[in-house]
Amino acid sequence: MKNGFIIIILVAIISSFSSCSDFLHVDNEIKDRLTIEAIFSNREYVEEYLANSYTYLINDNGDVGIGNWPFAFSDDMYNPQYKNIEEVKYNEESYQGSWNNAYMGIRQASIFIENVHVCDKVTEEEVIDFKAQARFVRAFYYWKLLQKYGPIPLLPEKGLDYTKSYTELSIPRSSYDECVEYIVSELAIAAKDLPMKRELLSISRPTRGAALSVRAKVLLYAASPLMNGNNDSYASQLIDDKGKRLLSKTYDEEKWAKAAAAAKDVMDLNSYQLYVSYRRESGDLAYPKTITPFDDGNFSQKDWPEGYADIDPYESYRSVFNGELSATENPELIFTRGQNQGDQGVNYMVLSQLPLRAKGYNQTSLTQKQTDAYYMIDGTDCPGKDMEIGRGDGSQRVTGFVSSNDVKAGKYKPLTKDVSLQYANREPRFYASVAYNGALWNLLNATLDIDKGPYYCWYYRGGEEGQSNSGNWLLTGIGVMKFVRPTDTNDDRNTGGATSHITKKADPAIRYAEILLIYAEALNELTKNYQIASWDRTNTYSIGRDVNEMKKAIQPIRIRAGVPDYEENIYANVDLFREKIKRERQIELMGEGHRYFDIRRWKDAPEEESLPFYGCNTLMTESEKEQFHMPIEITSVRTCFAEKTYFWPISRDELQKNIRLTQNPGWLTEY
Amino acid sequence: MRYSTLLCIIIFLLFLTDTFAQNNNVVQKIEVSGIVTDEFNEPLIGANVIVKDMPSLGATTNIDGHYKIKIEPFNRLVFSYIGFESQEILVKTDSIINVVMKESKSNVLEEVVITGTGVQKKINLTGAVTAVDVDVLKSSPSSNVTNALAGNVAGVLARQTSGQPGHTTSEFWIRGISTFGASNSALVLVDGFERNLDEINVEDIESFQVLKDASETAIYGARGANGVVLVTTKHGKPGKINISGKLETIHNSLIKLPEYVNGYDYAVMLNEARITRNQEPVYAEDELTTLKYGLDPDILPNVNWQDVILKDYAMSYRANLNLDGGGANARYFVSISYVEDEGMYKTDNTLKEDYNTNANSRRYNYRMNADMDVTSTTSLHIGLSGMLKKVNDSGKGTSAIWNSLTGQNPVQMPVTYSNGYYPGFNVSDIRDNPWVAATQTGYRQNWYNDLQTNVTLEQNLSFITKGLRFIGKFGYDTNNSNWINKIKAPERWTAERQRDDNGEIVFKRVNEEQLMSQSSGGGGDRREFIEAELHYNRSVKYHNFGGTLKYNQDSKVQTYNLGSDLKNSIPYRHQGVAGRIMYDWNHRYYVNFNFGYTGSENFAINNQFGFFPAFSLAWNISEEPIIKEKMSWLEMLKIRYSWGEVGNDNVGTRFPYMYTIGENMAGYQWADFDFSRSFQGKTYTRVASNGITWEIAKKHNLGIDISILQNKFNITADYFHETRTGIFMSRTSLPMIVGLQPGDNPRANVGGVLSRGVDGNYTFKQKVGEVNFTLRGNATYSKNEILDRDEGFKQFPYQYEKGYRVNQARGLIAIGLFKDWEDIRNSPVQNAWGPVWPGDIKYQDVNGNGVIGNEDRVAIGATTRPNLIYGLGLSAQWKKVDFNIHFQGAGKSSFFLSGGIAHPFSREQWGNVLQDVVNNHWISRDISGDPKTENPNAIYPRLEYGNVNGNNRQQSSFWLRDGSYLRLKTLEFGYNVPKNFVNKFKVNRMRVFFIGTNLLTFSKFKLWDPEAASNDGGGYPLSKSLTLGFTINI
Repeated sequence: MKNGFIIIILVAIISSFSSCSDFLHVDNEIKDRLTIEAIFSNREYVEEYLANSYTYLINDNGDVGIGNWPFAFSDDMYNPQYKNIEEVKYNEESYQGSWNNAYMGIRQASIFIENVHVCDKVTEEEVIDFKAQARFVRAFYYWKLLQKYGPIPLLPEKGLDYTKSYTELSIPRSSYDECVEYIVSELAIAAKDLPMKRELLSISRPTRGAALSVRAKVLLYAASPLMNGNNDSYASQLIDDKGKRLLSKTYDEEKWAKAAAAAKDVMDLNSYQLYVSYRRESGDLAYPKTITPFDDGNFSQKDWPEGYADIDPYESYRSVFNGELSATENPELIFTRGQNQGDQGVNYMVLSQLPLRAKGYNQTSLTQKQTDAYYMIDGTDCPGKDMEIGRGDGSQRVTGFVSSNDVKAGKYKPLTKDVSLQYANREPRFYASVAYNGALWNLLNATLDIDKGPYYCWYYRGGEEGQSNSGNWLLTGIGVMKFVRPTDTNDDRNTGGATSHITKKADPAIRYAEILLIYAEALNELTKNYQIASWDRTNTYSIGRDVNEMKKAIQPIRIRAGVPDYEENIYANVDLFREKIKRERQIELMGEGHRYFDIRRWKDAPEEESLPFYGCNTLMTESEKEQFHMPIEITSVRTCFAEKTYFWPISRDELQKNIRLTQNPGWLTEY
Repeated sequence: MRYSTLLCIIIFLLFLTDTFAQNNNVVQKIEVSGIVTDEFNEPLIGANVIVKDMPSLGATTNIDGHYKIKIEPFNRLVFSYIGFESQEILVKTDSIINVVMKESKSNVLEEVVITGTGVQKKINLTGAVTAVDVDVLKSSPSSNVTNALAGNVAGVLARQTSGQPGHTTSEFWIRGISTFGASNSALVLVDGFERNLDEINVEDIESFQVLKDASETAIYGARGANGVVLVTTKHGKPGKINISGKLETIHNSLIKLPEYVNGYDYAVMLNEARITRNQEPVYAEDELTTLKYGLDPDILPNVNWQDVILKDYAMSYRANLNLDGGGANARYFVSISYVEDEGMYKTDNTLKEDYNTNANSRRYNYRMNADMDVTSTTSLHIGLSGMLKKVNDSGKGTSAIWNSLTGQNPVQMPVTYSNGYYPGFNVSDIRDNPWVAATQTGYRQNWYNDLQTNVTLEQNLSFITKGLRFIGKFGYDTNNSNWINKIKAPERWTAERQRDDNGEIVFKRVNEEQLMSQSSGGGGDRREFIEAELHYNRSVKYHNFGGTLKYNQDSKVQTYNLGSDLKNSIPYRHQGVAGRIMYDWNHRYYVNFNFGYTGSENFAINNQFGFFPAFSLAWNISEEPIIKEKMSWLEMLKIRYSWGEVGNDNVGTRFPYMYTIGENMAGYQWADFDFSRSFQGKTYTRVASNGITWEIAKKHNLGIDISILQNKFNITADYFHETRTGIFMSRTSLPMIVGLQPGDNPRANVGGVLSRGVDGNYTFKQKVGEVNFTLRGNATYSKNEILDRDEGFKQFPYQYEKGYRVNQARGLIAIGLFKDWEDIRNSPVQNAWGPVWPGDIKYQDVNGNGVIGNEDRVAIGATTRPNLIYGLGLSAQWKKVDFNIHFQGAGKSSFFLSGGIAHPFSREQWGNVLQDVVNNHWISRDISGDPKTENPNAIYPRLEYGNVNGNNRQQSSFWLRDGSYLRLKTLEFGYNVPKNFVNKFKVNRMRVFFIGTNLLTFSKFKLWDPEAASNDGGGYPLSKSLTLGFTINI
């Protein structure tokens, strides 16, 4: 009996233990939730994980657009949204989303690279491609950081372990050259596994050309004066926590050779060419008959690609940007985010350019300096160029306006009656890029006929687009036409939401023209020959200042633009050619997010950005149109250059959390 | 799992009935009878007479003190009665045995306490336990037991912050706060199960213990780090039915409300606030005159809103009925109680028939504890208890009412316009007319329904080996609540400041009428407990030893409002084994070892279980022969020491080791325009925090117990030293380069806190003539220091929280007011929050950089929660009269004044102004005409209107106030109505009593009740209560 008790009690206790051994296990109740193992064993999920690693490229880490990425504007364009940047009135916490997003993208891509190989639901080729894509995008984030902040902390291959102590997670900045070396080698690895081309349904995935192009761009920056042999006091202050200089002190000419070789790597892929639209013998207002370019006796005699006899340079140039071509059709587009442009992309930029009549914001204006940069149709400078800022050649600005007789006589095409003759006879890219006073807006996509163009937009005070109490008028009286398609308008009469009547446009993050310009610019700086291995080390280039090579790069751009070639003496002279190449970049790449960084890497920003803005005298009414076209200083934007703006400040919050991080010179470190 | 356990219990029960049947032998019985009286020969009614070791065989004395019982011969009869010493008499044959009971001198050596492993004699205690005198809890007029803890229980720091009926819970912490983790509150066990202390009926409480050190709490393993409160409820005693009742009527008035200025003073100061900063005054001279003489109560009223909506007093009622008794095989305790707290708001009489808008609360508690002796060695206890509560509030709710009460100035609007229109305020709904908010906005009701069941089976296993016992427990609780809001709002109007040409008021309608609308919701949880214990106690000669082994598991799951997160439906679960081994030699040298091996479902498999050991030693010096011989007056002198580890598994986050992958994160479109080939994104939205486990407290306790001169003087004092490590924290200072999603802060066990302190209590009893005096006192002091904390890097060493107290207040150091412009020029630059004027607060440049800024904030003051709580009491008994007085105090606490109350007119004309400001603020000589009013030591700075300058509103030592106080907590008179009088009404005993609570408060802070530590005097304050009641025993 008593023994029975013991047995029962023991049974009771033991049974409650054994049956409860899984009492605390909760896995059964949540085992079907999404795990990382599930991600990498499911094809769809792998794609989704990869897709997310691209998303940080949008908005804050954009290349072309307007918004949290505030670099579309410098001495060339102006939008009131960036007044505080032009005036250097921003602080260490401004526009910091890119830092956070880039490092989030880096983490996401690193996890992907580490894990994707375990997935047996995707083919081996796909694994290789996916991995290369993640590697490309990770390198791209580093590049965007490097471009904006200068030298940045490089993380271990697998990313940072968040369980480590704060001291261990404090990673110092690597030097500019170390960053470049890392990014460049990563891009070369990615390039190896990326395909040459992407088809329609994967156009926003990178190709080998994209990887090699970013590589060329990174190397070009590394060779530029700000980073290469910079001995001024700014560079001496840009140091890591141990006092090591982050910008190289000694000039290394070979860096130019490497940049040139990298550009050549892209050119030798033979995958890209500049887009041209062929000569049109008849047309309408929106798609006019080709205005025959200048007869220089050379390009004008030959057909593309040797000359511009058979092409329409105006249509060629504008089609690259305005959505006329899809991304797939565009042979010069090397990398684009395609449809992934967030709410601050190219279309939003167009919205800010469109006149009020088209329900646009009518805000983005072009400076007089940028307007003057465009050549005359014959390749000469426009009369009175830059005279107000003390760079004139003694000539005066043209006065007078297009008369109705001129129009009848077919003179000054494409100008309409009453447009200032300052805008007459300019190179085709001028008409594709500049919305001068009296420019034509076609607005063909408007829902109602009454809202459609042709709309000649005038910026005189008292007119509907002129100076007013609102914020929606152009400070310089000169607008921006680049990226605007004849169809574009925001006037949808509420049929489909904002920007629905603006053609979707791929952002030209990298296009072939830029590669050509990189090649020309880099070659020009060389004083001797260098033997540089190609990206995959299968080939060795002999790189030197070869005028023929420089011509090979620059001539297609000039031809497509419908402007004559440079004189031989320019090709012969390093300094003259450098000036020309800078101006060519200023014109060709306007509005594509280059100018802000270019004038910094050239160390031209101290002069260029401190000059006041000039523009038309927007106080003048239509009856005072002569005065309207006498450029005056725009005093409401107090342009200036501060040395500290060479690189963007690092957030003080981040500096406090990563104690080994050092601030860029001139910015505050602590609260 | 549950089935198997149940099955075991059923088998066990079947087995026992078998045993029971066998034991039912028939033996010849004898009859014993007699009279039980006290020393004065008064018969004792209801005295217990039981056969020793057979509690089921018993009788009680009748109204004449007679008893009669049948027993087997050669047994001992035990006579017992509350307040008297028990007697044992050996009975051999039939006889009449008359017993004279002696009043007991309560003996410290016989006192028992209840610990985690069962009942222990206090003398054998080696850990730190406070046994709370339950009578003390009963003399609190609050319906909530927790409100009686402050100043009564050594080792508990407590604070009551609200007096709102139904919401009067005190926050309390055993030995203070020793962690900054998610939970710092104690584990509360009622009858061994984790239950809510707030809703328990105080009359049901048999004993209330606070376990403080590791040796007592280690068996709770991962849950005992913050201390444990053990409550046991009453059980029936064998004998005749014993009925007792208690009725109380309580008169509550609010302790102290902020005193606001009248309309005229308000308007004058408003003008001053404008003029003194070069702004136009608001009120013209003639308007001031109108206001002063109350000539236009519609447009320029003068309302004391407190008078308008607050009653002078509110009543509370409590009634309680207990029945207990039992017979040979079963005993029972049954109680029901009712508590009603009326609200303090005035109500609209016209609505009285419809519904109640007042903030009131009604609660019913019931409990039944039944004990059955299934066999002579087996007993079964069944406990059922429940609580029904209904809490009412006005439609806007109490916080909105107090917000409008502290916000609405006396001039803004009348209570109602003379034409009956309700005034409104067109800025926002929050700035409502307090009268409208309190009475015209409908009502809210909250219903609570808790049902608790527990079954305990005790089996004496002495037949296996002497001293062995088994206890099995099972408990099941369901708690439900629901709320219904029926909200409405009347049409409201505002009058323009100027009447029209006919002298009529120009009204503008600012709010449309909103008819009554309804919303509802609820909550609920379900809890289950299982426990199995083996106890063994044995004494062999001088060796006393004992052991306990215990298995337990519990689960608690939310049953309502679970949302979509899978994790919400997973019960919180614990499981563990625990044990204790005790040994003492001749009650002189004690060694104790305890352990808990417990686990929690919240951690990863390998981190679920932890081992928590503790040991304790004690030396009872008074038992040494030499002391016994030479110092016999020293009844007890015991030194105790304990060390142990305990955990805290409440980390505030479910399953921190699990990561979450976001399903529909940002994705990417791969195709060209007009085509689609896109993927949604997936990424970690919460990363896994691996290796996460509970906090660990390493506790030392050194204590001493002294009892001298036959219990005349008792003292217990403990010093404690606790190091808390592994406090669970979010890593909020990770640099962005780590690349986690925004807001994803992984967790880690990184924090550490050291806390030290003392607690103790004493009693001193003395008889002077016929009066018995007892003097009592207790104190708890605790101080903590953060040893480690996840706080990244800071610019200045004083900005780290490490090295300072948990919840240490921080602010600027104020060094008076700026005397004049010269003073401002000669001081460090102070414009971080706007330009400063003379009469504004001047701050100290702590880092000496010549600029005052946020980085000059340092640790100032203490914490809002007191670090010192003490109590002092005296009771006296003289014949039938008893008297008790108790003071309670709190120290080492501070709080900041802030909001509209400290900064009048900062919210422009929203915000009432304290009377205190009128004569105590800095006034420019240009306004007062007297240079003396530019008092650099004024309590309030230069007035200011609107939200222009933040300088004076920074948290600084200027606004720091001392939260310490001493109050006359309880004053009690009782009178025992003479027995021969009450007996005529078939009543055994009757006591009439009067209790006053919170009658006096002494504090440096005078504006409102300091215990609430309110920043602005808003919120439902505590009450001053007067209670009249009586108890009856039948």
